[in-house]
Amino acid sequence: MGAGVCFVTCSVIRTSFLRYFFLNLYIILSLFSDLLRQFVLRFYGLESAQYTYAYYYTDCLLTVALFVAVISLASRIFAELNMTRHVRLVAVLLLLGTVGFSYAVVAQSAHRLVTVFAFELSQNLYFVGLVLTYLLWGAILKLQESRTRVVQMVLSLGLYFSAYAGSFALANLAPKYVIVQYLGPILGCFLPISWALTIMRHSEDSRLTTARLVAVPR
Amino acid sequence: MSRKLGALALALGILVGAMELKTLVTAHGKTAAIMANGVSPVPVKFPPSN
Repeated sequence: MGAGVCFVTCSVIRTSFLRYFFLNLYIILSLFSDLLRQFVLRFYGLESAQYTYAYYYTDCLLTVALFVAVISLASRIFAELNMTRHVRLVAVLLLLGTVGFSYAVVAQSAHRLVTVFAFELSQNLYFVGLVLTYLLWGAILKLQESRTRVVQMVLSLGLYFSAYAGSFALANLAPKYVIVQYLGPILGCFLPISWALTIMRHSEDSRLTTARLVAVPR
Repeated sequence: MSRKLGALALALGILVGAMELKTLVTAHGKTAAIMANGVSPVPVKFPPSN
């Protein structure tokens, strides 16, 4: 939570709040979701249906916000090619397609539709975000994007989504190990910390020299 | 027009790729994922049901 507050505060101080508005929006929503979850957890307990609903519905909201944050980074990268409109079109089609697919998956179990739909949509959007982030990284390499903040934020997202997919696989392969239950909360801290470090350490004018990434001095 | 069709094809490609990846990751499991956003503890009741 501290890293999230730090990221938003640094964004405001360094006048980057509006520039990275959707990233800040995701972090702010994440902070409010954590507060709401803690409130419900304290009053109703971990095993209550109220906490389960609060957890998975806020998770769905956060995943949509994260998807929009990825799209906002894509818009910034493709802005120089005047492809912002097309990026938005792809984003809308992807969101509608994922909603439709998620509905098709859970539609057969009508009595669980309301609760399972949010969970299914959240899961599917995560994997869409994962693929989208890797495509974005390919575009960064292809277009030789050098803005340090944008590159590091996309890299952070790639690591976050990849770690999530890894923990997803681990949860299925070894569900009986207790450590698997703690991976989610640990991964939840990664994104605000990495974004806060990026905003604190680099200005908007900072540039990465591609050669430094490629050439290894011997 | 062709650019719009390209956007549609790209969106479909990403969606199919993502769902393939999800199937691949969860292929050997009997349970669905239990991870989510944030640092709050994961609910005991899983999956959420009425």
